[in-house]
Amino acid sequence: MAEEYDVCVIGTGAGGGVMIDQLTAAGFRVVALERGGRVGPLDFDDDELKNVIRDQVFSPHQLETYRFDAESDSITGRFSHLAHCVGGTMTHWAAWSWRFRPDDFEVLSKEGPLAGANLADWPISYDELEPFYTKAEQDFGVAGDHTMNPFGAPQKTPLPNPRHPERVSAKKFAAGAKKLGYHPFPVPKAINSRPYGGRPRCMYGGACRAYGCPIHAKATTLSVSLPRAERTKKLDLRIEAMVYELPVDDRGRVTGARYLDAKGNAHEVRARHTIVSAGAIGTPQLLLLSKSNRFPDGLANGSGQVGRNLTFHHHPSVVGVFDEDLRTYAGFESHAAFDDLHASDPKRGFIRGGVVGELNTFTHQPIAYSVVLAGDHRFGSSWGAGLKDRIRAFPRTLTLALIGEEMPMEENGVDLDPEVEDRFGLAVPRVTKRHHENDLAMYEWYEKKLMEVAEAAGAKHVAPGRNPEVHISKTQAQKGNAHNHGTARMGNDPSRSVLDRWCRSHEVPNLWVVDGSFMPTTGGYNPTLTILANAYRVADHFIREAKKGSI
Amino acid sequence: MSHEDQRRDVLDRRAFLQRGGIYGAGVLVALHLPRPEAARAAAESTAPVVLSQAEWATLEAATARIIPTDREPGAKEANCVNFIDKALANEDAAAVPLYKGGLPALDGVARTRHGKAFVELTPAEQDAVLGDLEKGAAAEWTIGGQLPSPVFFETLRVHTIVGFLADPSYGGNADYAGWRVAGYPGPRHRRGGFTPDQVEGKAPVVPVWER
Repeated sequence: MAEEYDVCVIGTGAGGGVMIDQLTAAGFRVVALERGGRVGPLDFDDDELKNVIRDQVFSPHQLETYRFDAESDSITGRFSHLAHCVGGTMTHWAAWSWRFRPDDFEVLSKEGPLAGANLADWPISYDELEPFYTKAEQDFGVAGDHTMNPFGAPQKTPLPNPRHPERVSAKKFAAGAKKLGYHPFPVPKAINSRPYGGRPRCMYGGACRAYGCPIHAKATTLSVSLPRAERTKKLDLRIEAMVYELPVDDRGRVTGARYLDAKGNAHEVRARHTIVSAGAIGTPQLLLLSKSNRFPDGLANGSGQVGRNLTFHHHPSVVGVFDEDLRTYAGFESHAAFDDLHASDPKRGFIRGGVVGELNTFTHQPIAYSVVLAGDHRFGSSWGAGLKDRIRAFPRTLTLALIGEEMPMEENGVDLDPEVEDRFGLAVPRVTKRHHENDLAMYEWYEKKLMEVAEAAGAKHVAPGRNPEVHISKTQAQKGNAHNHGTARMGNDPSRSVLDRWCRSHEVPNLWVVDGSFMPTTGGYNPTLTILANAYRVADHFIREAKKGSI
Repeated sequence: MSHEDQRRDVLDRRAFLQRGGIYGAGVLVALHLPRPEAARAAAESTAPVVLSQAEWATLEAATARIIPTDREPGAKEANCVNFIDKALANEDAAAVPLYKGGLPALDGVARTRHGKAFVELTPAEQDAVLGDLEKGAAAEWTIGGQLPSPVFFETLRVHTIVGFLADPSYGGNADYAGWRVAGYPGPRHRRGGFTPDQVEGKAPVVPVWER
């Protein structure tokens, strides 16, 4: 019989990478299965056509379908901004590293029920997660100055690294925000502002979000967690291993994982515990693929909640054109933000909110800018002299945007596409996603506020920044996002959630899910630091209980 | 919402082209094929590989209207046509039928309207033809059922922009023409990045072509 590992971890991104690191450090023997290949600094250049437009580096085999709701037809493509490679999507993340605020953990209690939304409290509080936020910030070297944000989460330990240089665009944004009475501050970033953790200082090359870091100044599980784990000699990392089934024994326990290698040959590993960290798209896909007599609707899905309640963030944005070179092609995606408009206020006509920042997703690199923004009909003709003038405005153009909290809806989610298969013949994940009225109202309100900030900052031409990929309306939703959460909810009620407070399946005692899937609600901040902190929390519990012999 | 509204929204023309037509999602045919790199091909030759001489001339004239030449170089000087030819020979081979069908059809519209090839029209006449293709309003477009003219136009538009601004090694952006127009000083990952003073606007930025 094949060797039985202590733990099998499926996925090496923010959740899986931390689990692998913490468990191997504690002496457990871990087999890690990563569906993608190994990419590294030598592959990480800043060729925009290769990396962003053609997406040839990170997810060459990614495939999914999208539909608006259960009555709509679906379309096939790559809509979620994922990286299927060692290190997962963190490999090309923007490294914004926020703590969620205490109220983000108790949305249902604070707001009460909202018709059409499936709100829930988290089974844990901010105070329980706080020490693990600190651990994540220290390990990943977050740089910034949390004392400048009077509306941020309370923080006992300062960030380990000082703030980064204030880019010209950030100075403009901050000046506009201050003029309106807001409190701008440097975005906390898991990017080295000085040599730290054996990794160098950032070189401010500009191509950061959507690119790998060629010098590992950006903290990722690829640069922080996995090298440490490999040094323990406790890790068996298998790449290009596409897990297609989690088999169960006659006691209803997971025995490990079955996967296909790059050639499509099947393999099986055995482990005492299995941790699924395939992301909020990949995790429900795998659980739903794992049907058995005992679990006919998919593994750990007795509640029927696997794959439901998918949330993204939505991003109302405005584009402003200034008189001078803003240097947005240097530094990283965003340097400044403010939180004054974050707190929930039902008087606005919607609940919840989010953080506002200079967010140069489409304005820091010339091709995406020129195809998506300069070439957008709503700014005039999409070709000819008008297009050329807007291409000339590239270095003077700034985007301001919201990280907007979305309302979870039970009917939004991920299931198995009945028609579309991947290259191995496996059903691809089908995303069903529309917006709640609250999302639409939030979008409209923040868009107006962003216009005010851009004008106060001195932008001469200001226009809504909507484009077909992020536009939201009653008939059209974002088809994908880099922020995916909620498809394997954590909760105290096994009939309404998939995972318990330790991210362990209510039904399968040796199955754990540690990625973004656990989040019942998603705050108005980028989720990765919270995924990291939660992984440290689960790992801490796992190690303590395993050493006591109680799991 | 009616089913028709929804279908129209989901199949939004531009979304199809951006994520589905040429780049991103939809190069499904090409997705699992070995794809030689256009950069290598472009470095070897700036002569037509996929396009005929006539197709090259028509396409070059069309790109010159998407990004026209004014006090600064446009798509013609940036050699966007060479970028597209090399992309069609390699990564974007899935779009070859679109150009092989669309370019003669574009020329056909010009000949039916003006009795002249597209390349012989005045810029204003060329713009009128292209504008009608963009809107799907050219009755003379003869292969509409197989290839709606807006799909051809949007591919041409996106390809021209990409050719203008992609790394010169792909065969366009000749002499950094596109980056000069855009005020983009060039990629820095292999050149040491930017200093904190440059990020803060306290020191000038020297473009990669001046170093």
